[in-house]
This record gives sequence, C-alpha cells and structure tokens, in this order.
Amino acid sequence: MDAHRIRSEPYYQSVADEVALFEAAYARRLPLLLKGPTGCGKTRFVEHMAWRLGKPLVTVACHEDLSAADLVGRWLLDADGTRWQDGPLAQAARHGALCYLDELVEARADTTVVIHPLADTRRVLPLAACNELLAAHPDFALVVSYNPGPLAREMKPSTRQRFCALEFRHPAPEAEATIVAREAGVGLDVAAAIVAFGVRTRRLQGHGLDEGASTRMLVHAAVLAAQGVATRRACRMAVVDALSDEPGVYEALLGALDASF
Amino acid sequence: MGSALPLHWLHADAPSAAPALRSLQQTLRALWGLQAPVLIDGEVPHLAAGSIHLPRTAPAGFADLPWQRAAAAHAAAHLVYSPAVFDGRGLRPMVRALVGVLEDARVETLAGRELPGLPRWWRPLHTVVPADGEGVETLLLRLARALADPAYDDPHPWVRKGRALFFLDARGEVLAEPRAESLREIASRLGHDLGQMRLQFNAKGYLPGPGYRDDHRWMWPSGADDRADAAPATPPPGRSADDPPPSPEGEPHPEWDRLIARLRPAWCRVREQRDEASVDAAITLPQAPSPAALRRAVAAGPARGPWRAEHEGERLDLDALLRARIARRARLPLDARLHRGRSHGRLFGHALLLIDQSASTSTPWAEGGRDQLQAACTLAWQAAQALAAVGLRTAIAGFASNGRHAVHWQSVQAFGEPLDRRAGARLAALRSGGSTRLGAALRHATRQLACHRGGEQLVLVFSDALAHDIDVHDPRYLAEDARHAARHAVRRGQRLACIAPDGAQAGAARAIFGAAQVAVVERLDALPGALRRLLG
Repeated sequence: MDAHRIRSEPYYQSVADEVALFEAAYARRLPLLLKGPTGCGKTRFVEHMAWRLGKPLVTVACHEDLSAADLVGRWLLDADGTRWQDGPLAQAARHGALCYLDELVEARADTTVVIHPLADTRRVLPLAACNELLAAHPDFALVVSYNPGPLAREMKPSTRQRFCALEFRHPAPEAEATIVAREAGVGLDVAAAIVAFGVRTRRLQGHGLDEGASTRMLVHAAVLAAQGVATRRACRMAVVDALSDEPGVYEALLGALDASF
Repeated sequence: MGSALPLHWLHADAPSAAPALRSLQQTLRALWGLQAPVLIDGEVPHLAAGSIHLPRTAPAGFADLPWQRAAAAHAAAHLVYSPAVFDGRGLRPMVRALVGVLEDARVETLAGRELPGLPRWWRPLHTVVPADGEGVETLLLRLARALADPAYDDPHPWVRKGRALFFLDARGEVLAEPRAESLREIASRLGHDLGQMRLQFNAKGYLPGPGYRDDHRWMWPSGADDRADAAPATPPPGRSADDPPPSPEGEPHPEWDRLIARLRPAWCRVREQRDEASVDAAITLPQAPSPAALRRAVAAGPARGPWRAEHEGERLDLDALLRARIARRARLPLDARLHRGRSHGRLFGHALLLIDQSASTSTPWAEGGRDQLQAACTLAWQAAQALAAVGLRTAIAGFASNGRHAVHWQSVQAFGEPLDRRAGARLAALRSGGSTRLGAALRHATRQLACHRGGEQLVLVFSDALAHDIDVHDPRYLAEDARHAARHAVRRGQRLACIAPDGAQAGAARAIFGAAQVAVVERLDALPGALRRLLG
C-alpha cells in the first residue's frame, strides 16, 4: 500500500467545515458521498484528507465499462495455474486504505451494487469468485464522488442512502481567486480577473453550456498567464476554446471574454 | 414602429445574422446574468417592458453586428445599473436630455469598471468632433463623447465644465456623483449654462446620441407614453379563415405530392413564435406520478444489460479471455467471442417533443376530465423531464396550421433552455385550434434536430396523426406527406416515435410512423411503459 501513500501535503483551501466533517465521518467510518460540479476540488479534498489522516488512498475513476470484477478482483493465469488478483476496492478493504470511487454514477448499475455490503454496518466485501468474505480493515473507508449536473445519471436510492453527503460548490470569487493565484503562481489581481470571467461563463450553465468553467480550468488559464501568455489569450485557450464547440455559445463566450479584458 | 420579431424569426431573411444575435443574448446573460429578450424591430435602440429592442441594421458607416452588440450592451447596462424610472417632475426638457446623457455616461463608466473590454465596443461609435458645430444637440453629443472617451479632448468650455463636474479625476475613472438620483444637480447647472448661451433646443425632435444608445423612453414614463411599446402578443396558433392572408414569412419546407410523386419545394412555411406574455402566469407544473420510475423507464430503454460477447470489436473482454484460456488448458470447447459488444443504453443526444395543437385535440381524453391537448402537455412535460434527467437535451414545441403558408410552431422550450416554470407556463398556455399539417411540422422538427451534432436525435410526437388542413381536400395527401417526412428522417438516422391519445384512432399514426414507433397512452401511469417500449 506504500505506493498509495501521499508523501507531501496536497494544497487544499478549506471553504467551510468540510475538513472537520470528513474527520468526524472517518472517525466512525461512515461512507461519504462528495457532490459537486466538475473541477471544484473534490478529488483534491480527498487527497488532502488522506494525507491528513495518514492513510493510503486508492482512487478509481469510474466509467460505464467498469465491471464488478474490475473493482473486486479476478482470477488471472500464470505459468503455475490461476491466481487471484485483488481489485482496487478489495485491496483497499484488505489493507485499510481510503477507497475513492470518482464519479460513481458513471459505473454501470450492476457494478455499483458491489459496494453495498462495504457501505453499511456489515463492512464486508463478498469475493464470490474465490469464495471469500473479506472483512474490511478497521482503517478502511469508502468515499465516492458524484457530479449532479444536468446530464448526470441518477444514483439509485439504495446506493445513495448508504452515504453521508458533503456538498461542494464553486468557492466564493475571493476564495477562488486565492486558490487560482496559489495554484498557478500569479498575482491576486490576475487571478481575480480570470475568476470573474469564469463566473460569467457559469451563468450560461443550462443555457447552452452543461457546466461553466471549473476552478481547474481557471487554474489552467492562470498557469498559461504565468508562462507569459496574455491573460485574455490564456482564458481563450484554457476556457473558451475548451468549453464549447457549439457556434452560438462559443460566440457568446468570446463576447464575454472580449468584454472582460 | 414595425412589429417586433423574436430573433429566431430572422432566420428567413437574414440567415447569417440570426445566430450571431442569439449569441449576443447569451453574451448579455454571461456578462450580467440578464435574461432580457433581445428583439429586432426596426427603428432606434430602446428598452421597453424589460426587453432590448434593436434596429435591423446599423447606421451607414458601421458594421451591423459590432454596432448591435454595442447597442445591446449599453441598453443592458441600463437594466443593470440604472433605477427603474427617473423622477422628471419639474425638469425642463433640456435638463431631462442632460440627465439622459449623464446617466448614459454613468452606466457605461460603471460597466467599464466591471468589464474593462466594454469601452472598446462603445468608443469607436462616438464620431462627433468640434468641427461639427455648437448647436445644443451637437454639444450634447460632444459632451457624451468627452464623458465616454478619456482620449477625446474637446476645446469647448461647456463640454470641459461638464466633464469636470462629472468626474473627480482627469482620467475619467472616479464619478463625482455615483448615484443616478444625484445627476439632476449637474444637469441643472449645465442646462442653466446652455440657457445662458441662448441656444435653442428642439425637445420633440431630440434623440439621444450617438445612435447606439437607447432613446431613454424608459427614463420618463409619463412623457414616453406616446412612444412606449411592448413586445407584441404572439398570434394564436389557429387563425380563422377570415384573417388577412399571411405574408411570406417563416421557414420554407417542401411537401410531398403523392399525385406527382415529387416534393414541391418551399411549399409550406413554418412560422416560429413564442408566447412570452404568459410566462408569468401562475401555473401548477405537472408532476409525474413517479418521476423516478419514468426516468428509469427512459434510462432502461435501450437495454443496459450485461455486455454482449462479440466475435469482433474494439475492446477485448478480459473475463472472456480468461475463460477461453482456462478452457484451452482444460481442453474444453472454446467460446471465440472475446470482444465486448458496445454497451447499449447510454442515452446522449437531443429529443424534440412535438405537441399537436389542432382543433381536434380539444376532445376529451380517456382519463381524468381533461382534453387531449392538456393530456399531451402533461405527458410531454413529464417525458421531457425524464429524458433530460437521463442525459438528453430536450426541446418542446406545439404546432397547428392554417393552410400551407401558416404552419404555426409555438416554441415552449428550446434546446439549452431549462425546463423551468417559464417553460411550464408557455406549455400551459398552448390552446387547441387550427389543423394538423404534420409533414411540415416533422420536417421543421428534424431540421432543428439536425443542427445539433452528436448522439441520438429523437422526435417524440404527441398526436393522433390525423393529418388534415383547410387547403387540402384529398384525405390521403397530407398523410402521405407526413409518411414521406418520417421516412426521410429515419433514413437520416433520426428516430421518430408517436404517443397517440386514443387507441381507436391510432391507425393513422401507425401508418405514418410504423406500428413499432407508436404507443397509445390513455392513462398518465401508462407513460413509463410507453416510453420504455418506444425508446427500447
């Protein structure tokens, strides 16, 4: 599990009491659901908490081709015959890591049910293929993330109701500017202008855009600016050109960019 | 004043301008979160009833789109920074005009502070120079330019005084009077000076300048009654035969003539319209009996079962490979299907829900004391919410016709708009009337869908599909045309499905869409099953 330990502190700026709430939930090993838009800092928060708690972190990016065997494990063949290979979920449960399933709803419904026995008081993972009932290590905890955007799939109530939830939003502009400045190494004034433009793109959410610019995108723009690219050009490259190909929305974003700088 | 046309009506005669102006409306939303409609209605820019009205073209010497963009941004700045009205009591016309100039400069300064790129849109449109003269109107234009452009240096003492009263600093960044209510004082002093110069002011013929600025009719409501206008009420979908003949507006579509077995080009005209008058009406949004069941039915449509094993494919199935390897070692028969079939069921794309509003939809529905149109609206709303919840972009429209030149298309929700209370109010305002020129409506729907790339393209029609119209007497003509339109769409990869309100009348729908693409829904709780079958 050493490969999964986080060596140095990942930068995370707390915006409310989420750190204390995560610690309280972890103290009682309650499974956590992190909700929030793309690129608002959910994954960074989990990395930060894993570092803070001193636990290894196993991250799985879920997708619709992810099978239950991909999570739990499968028999593999080698020269001597077959051998069992734990999947990332079984590995985390066996060795006491935090298991972070990123965008859980993207996984197929039949895949998500394998986490059910781990996410309630049983804290076990049945490995039917090797006839083992794996009891989770006392340090094991399950964290999943979910982006409830307009195009998001529904999470089944039987899955949803196993979790406590922490809701993430885009930080307030001042806090977001601080984050962008810190991450990209630019001045606060440049970061504030980039964030103000990002906030404008978010007003088109549901009006041509599925989601406005994420904090991650704004950091990218600021990184380009730190590299010497003019701020307006950096925002066009990192935000406008990346956000949409639909002509009407693209023109609107260009107009907003032109007005903003 | 010509009648106001919503932007999408421009499509017929200005195909290149319409998308650009639509994106302008989006730009204003991004800049300030404004939802003000931007309309094209002919004469000067103005604000009325919360809408921004723009001329169709820019004055000579300016390109249309940058000029319209500047005009819209200026009007929007009033909506953001100006009070709703000004108190004009006791103000002479000259002082009113000055308050207008100062207020224009105030909102542009505030907007420019928030959005530093905006002054670049406005400054090039100020073209007055000292050589243009020293009449009142010219001096007002010169003052406007001096307040808008720090690089412009006007030698006239009155203009210089105006600038010195308006800004505290030489660079024109600090307003002396940040509040609109305080501008009267500066305007009175400048007006007094103009009076001392014995200059004549023609208040009746005065229009604020330069031309991209609105005409201030919103500022002085008591004096603006004669010019006030509002967005016109949208015409009813069903027009009576006594109405004047329609003008050749609207989007042309061909129609299939079964007797000559050819498409008649540009035979029908579909007129898009939108009922904005009813969006504030108090309504109760229809709620599905079980929204989650409906969503599951839609999501489950294209079966999301286990992967299908395939002989060929882009991705290997690791478990199938292992089974095959074990079978080989054990000398058992091999299953050579080692690839994963494409996993079905990821819904992605666009769905347009099309509601028949013809007069026949006023007949009672099987369930619950509502007519067929009300039922169709309820079903469409629930279906749209379910489709949106599983990832499709949705649009809703109603249609009814009154001859081939007047196929009315009532846009309830466009792609990219939310399924909110305003859309619900527009849906609730749909009324029965007119005829069913289904083929033209289908062509319009499929053309709209074709503009959106990626994913599934679905048209879900809520209709008995009994096609008829006042100018067609051959009962088979419009049915054959609708069938042609449906087949053409299917050939282009679009999916068409129909929800019919009455089982006894569903034969016509089956003939047009095919039996597998028609579901009869006579009760609200039958909708999930119908959608599961149609989308499966």
